[in-house]
Amino acid sequence: MPSKKPPPGHFNLLYFAASSSYTKKSVEAFKAPVSAADLFDLLEERYPGIKDKVLSSCAVTVNYQYVDLDDDGDDRAITIKEGDEVAIIPPVSSG
Amino acid sequence: MVLKDENIYVELTHDHLDTMTAINRVKSPKAGAVVLFAGTTRDTFDGKPVKQLEYTSYTILALAQLKRIANEMKKKHDLTAITLVHRLGVVPVGEESILIAVSAPHRQAAWRGGEEALEECKKRTEIWKLEEFEGEEGGVWRANRDGQAGVRIA
Repeated sequence: MPSKKPPPGHFNLLYFAASSSYTKKSVEAFKAPVSAADLFDLLEERYPGIKDKVLSSCAVTVNYQYVDLDDDGDDRAITIKEGDEVAIIPPVSSG
Repeated sequence: MVLKDENIYVELTHDHLDTMTAINRVKSPKAGAVVLFAGTTRDTFDGKPVKQLEYTSYTILALAQLKRIANEMKKKHDLTAITLVHRLGVVPVGEESILIAVSAPHRQAAWRGGEEALEECKKRTEIWKLEEFEGEEGGVWRANRDGQAGVRIA
């Protein structure tokens, strides 16, 4: 699986499980930079309904670290940069 | 794909899992107890016949998570050794999808360490299970989290 390098000026977004079924993709390149707080809205525009059906129960990693998507409060959401590896992490089900 | 540390072995593999190999990895003259948990795939879910199960992972994250869990459990329960192995891809019904083997000087620590290792794996490891049912298209992405319904593929 992972992952071809994204084109210049882009980052790769990896989809797993339900997010992969919904988008019918395992990876997709998006233009950087993007605030992590805007990521779900960006996906909703491209895949109407995904926020409610899938993303509402998902976490997000940027370069293998879980990130906080809330931009309210004191912590500012991080900015996704060119070349980053971002992933949508649905509720897990190993075992 | 394997990560190792002192008396720690974690692996993700598309191959058949072997219980004796897992046991032998944790056996030690220092340990009087070895506990093995083998999770096998069931043929029904809520009474519906399961055709097959398929596991996918975010491999880099899942391996690191398994190693973190192994480290935590080894320290917390004073285990002699611990091995966590998860199978990926299609796992035919009745075969093992996960093996957890732990050893400890005495049985209490081995039981507890093995049980908690499994619970932590199920809760945290970035692995997903797709259940496909007989006579139905698509499948259901299962979620281990309490009260979280699986997501049906349209």
